[in-house]
Amino acid sequence: MLKRIGVATLALALAIPGTALAAKVKIGFINTITGAEAPIGENLTNGVSLALEDLKKKGIEVDLIKEDDTGKPEKSLAAFEKLATRDNVAGVVGPYTSACSSAVASQADKYKVPIIIPAAAKEEITRKGYKYVFRLNAPADVYSSVLMDAIQTIDKPKTIAYIYESTDFGTSTVKTAKEYAKKLGIQEVADEKYQKGAPDFRSTLSKIKSKNPDLVFMVSYVVDAITLMRQSKEIGLAPKAFLGGGAGFTTAQFLAQKEISNMVMSSTQWTDDVNWPGAANFSKRYSAKFKKEPTYHAACAYEAMMIMAETASKNAGDRDKTRNGLKSGQWNGIMGDVKFADYAGFTNQNNHQMLVQQVQNGKYETIFPPKFATKKPVYPFKWK
Amino acid sequence: MKAFNPLHSQRGASAVQVSIGIAVIAALFAFPQFVESPYVLHMMILFFLSTLMGQSWNIIGGYAGQYSVGHAAYFGTGAYTTLILLTTREIAPWYGMWVGIAASIVLALIIGSICFRLRGPYFVLASIAVAEIVRGTALNLTDLTKGAEGILVTDIPVFNIGETIITDFSSKVPYYYIALVLALIIIGVTWLVQHSKLGYYFQAIREDQDAAHSLGINLTIWKNSALVISAAFTSLAGSFYAIFVKFIDPSTVLPLDLSVQIVLISIIGGIGTIFGPVIGALVLVPLSEALRSNVIAQGLINSGLVSEDSGVGIFLKENLAHAHVLIYGILVVVVILFMPEGVLGYFRKMAAKKKGGNA
Amino acid sequence: MTFSVLLQSIISGVLIGGVYALIGIGLTIIFGVMRVINFAHGDIMMVGMYLTYFLFTLAGIDPFISVLITMPLMFLFGAILQRIFINRILGSLPQNQILLTIGLGLIMSNTTMLAFTSDYKILTTTYSSSSFNLGGISISEPLLISFLITAAITAALYWFLIKTDTGQAIRATAQDREAAQLMGINVKWMSILSFGIGSAMAGTAGALIAPTYYIFPQVGSAFTLKAFVITVLGGMGSIVGATLGGIIIGLVESVAAVTISSDWKDVVVFSIFLLVLLIKPSGLMGKSRM
Repeated sequence: MLKRIGVATLALALAIPGTALAAKVKIGFINTITGAEAPIGENLTNGVSLALEDLKKKGIEVDLIKEDDTGKPEKSLAAFEKLATRDNVAGVVGPYTSACSSAVASQADKYKVPIIIPAAAKEEITRKGYKYVFRLNAPADVYSSVLMDAIQTIDKPKTIAYIYESTDFGTSTVKTAKEYAKKLGIQEVADEKYQKGAPDFRSTLSKIKSKNPDLVFMVSYVVDAITLMRQSKEIGLAPKAFLGGGAGFTTAQFLAQKEISNMVMSSTQWTDDVNWPGAANFSKRYSAKFKKEPTYHAACAYEAMMIMAETASKNAGDRDKTRNGLKSGQWNGIMGDVKFADYAGFTNQNNHQMLVQQVQNGKYETIFPPKFATKKPVYPFKWK
Repeated sequence: MKAFNPLHSQRGASAVQVSIGIAVIAALFAFPQFVESPYVLHMMILFFLSTLMGQSWNIIGGYAGQYSVGHAAYFGTGAYTTLILLTTREIAPWYGMWVGIAASIVLALIIGSICFRLRGPYFVLASIAVAEIVRGTALNLTDLTKGAEGILVTDIPVFNIGETIITDFSSKVPYYYIALVLALIIIGVTWLVQHSKLGYYFQAIREDQDAAHSLGINLTIWKNSALVISAAFTSLAGSFYAIFVKFIDPSTVLPLDLSVQIVLISIIGGIGTIFGPVIGALVLVPLSEALRSNVIAQGLINSGLVSEDSGVGIFLKENLAHAHVLIYGILVVVVILFMPEGVLGYFRKMAAKKKGGNA
Repeated sequence: MTFSVLLQSIISGVLIGGVYALIGIGLTIIFGVMRVINFAHGDIMMVGMYLTYFLFTLAGIDPFISVLITMPLMFLFGAILQRIFINRILGSLPQNQILLTIGLGLIMSNTTMLAFTSDYKILTTTYSSSSFNLGGISISEPLLISFLITAAITAALYWFLIKTDTGQAIRATAQDREAAQLMGINVKWMSILSFGIGSAMAGTAGALIAPTYYIFPQVGSAFTLKAFVITVLGGMGSIVGATLGGIIIGLVESVAAVTISSDWKDVVVFSIFLLVLLIKPSGLMGKSRM
């Protein structure tokens, strides 16, 4: 596979500049640019704009049609229909949120437009057997299982407490975490949902503290992660490990909070120190261009756009051929090995290897799985 | 000159008005025969749906003068009832929606019995609180509603009467006709309300509750009737949304934003009039779509007014899409400050002025 | 659940309630004088948060000190807002007033988004997560400081309204606008003044919560809703009521989270709100306007 990519790049490199191999390829990109989900949506926009630069270098001119869905499913549908029937795009990358992706996915088969969902975690999206819907990122269940697997290699903890936001992402991640914990014989001592954006978790956290759990599993999509950890420190909650289910625990802002982020472990779709081809370089260019660290959302959107544009360009923008190209293709880029497979009830789902990272000395270090680890995990947890 | 103003809706519409109305309705029914673009149909459907939502609110808010900012509760109840019955009991939506209406009416009566004791701003706040309670409940009754995960359906069962298949929902067209009929029904209902005793009671309550009461109008009965009619149609809108989008969760069918949206349609158009909400939907739906999909920036570039590579062109392309809620906000402020009776009211006033000038 | 958990939740509830109270006081003054429900209240608070953030990151001024700058700036901001927009709709229908403030809120949050992107901003001070221990109960330092500042501001405001001529004029306007006008009070000026004070309170609340929370353009809406609950609970137009209301809501949220469950916390808060509306629509302190 690597060889094939090598040959392709070589061929591209040899091509005379200015004479692009393929004509302009039209790709749609549905994202949440305004509204409550916009802060994360921005990372996807940035990832895609880097992808466009790289595609240009490869001789693929993308005519990108950006659509904002404001986080609302009916607007996302409108955007998709516009892309499918008016703009006649070869394929679509997006939408970003699970709610919008759920609504759009059912229409992809109807219009026979291939879409790659870059970052939405809702499991059901790729469980409905849609032929034209592909998902790059790992779904919600992996966010919890990879963390539990990582912990199992270090210790045999006995109790676990959950605190998570009352959103689809929070509840479905914790639901699978609970099933997995039960299998491993870890006893649940607390189960606390909270409304996203709440300013005060102190009482909930002190309730958890009184149960003295070995593990505290947190799911927060946004900066609540920081509020949660700040207040945990305040009230002196100190389990053997703080586990963060992705998102809020994997941001540069979280990392920058040195006092509270140290030793927290989190699952993620991507890290900048993983040895996937181009990951480190992507991170460097991203930080230079956007003046902030890339999140996994940015990496997912970048790779989804690369895959979609390359495949569509190879198939001259033909939707069915592009769809078949996505189904049969294999890639190895900044997200590691990508293959859209059918397994365990999923259709066209990339069985993505999620990673576990831990903050050590003010840096995110990949600690699991061993194959990709750059550092050994530090355990048990201690406040600075 | 009145006859030439189709916006007028006095009792005893003239022959010209009636024929214009029939022509418009006929054109709308024939529309899908000529326009096949699913995108255009989608926008038309959203326009009908917005009309339905705005007009439903108009009955309680515009005619009876009770400014509910909690209509998302009925919308969500309709949407949830329909999809829960479909996914757990396999009851088709055209039966489920009636259950949704029943549930919304019960909810409306409960809400009415609580909130109608309050007036003015207190009523507004109470209606928000009730809608938030409904949202919180939907979020936490996970066994019934699947909570934050939402309900996703893939197929809507075939709509048949006896052996005859009416539609299998495979394209936008059936949704178009359903939405169109619903919008026409609510306009008809509003017309009936305005031209009946009901409308007289409602407007009396709106103008002065105490005076209405002293005239022997039973406030409780008539306020609740207005709310029940309004809730039933809002619930229908929710049921329609659910089978149209095929995915619902508390943050899409029950948020405060949605309640505000419903009120905006009616107020921007002009409340307490038959065509106000239609105008409101006609302004808001295309506008928000144009801003969302950035066709304005693209149009300026395509028309050659702004060069694509110039600073202005890049700025517009990058930022206009981000600015659409901002422009929306500015529109709201402008309408309230300069057209306090809504777009329809404003044009009527202008027309009246012109006439006065001519005389 | 142990006693110390309950005590912990009571103390954090009261402390966070102090900040809530400040948001509520701002809203209640505006409502009291103008009978306008300000749906942009949370967005005004958001503006205060951004001000505090930039004063800290660009000028290095500590949030608890920069309150001295934020407060007058937010007063001006509110006064201008009143003069240009709110003033025009004082006599118009309540639904138009509501919509105007909703529109203004949308403009504020989306202009902020265009100017500073929708990124979350975190204001980290040296004391953002520090606390001290008092008999097994941990008390957040920044929250305690905010609580004390809130108390001082509330007391000063109360004194201003009761003791000074201007304050009495504001109260008179709140009680009966027309009578106040007849008595020669410049009610227009009082309206500008009270919207300014209300905005200053909201902005200050934003400044005080900034070191322990985070900042983004849409942060306001959740607080707007909270402010409504607080003001109605205390009685629209009553400062003492709003103070009490804020602390009660802080307490209820906190205690409900440990005794019932954090899932139902918001439902509990809104149910209490409805109950108060039903049993005592004028609120806890409804009679004594201001």
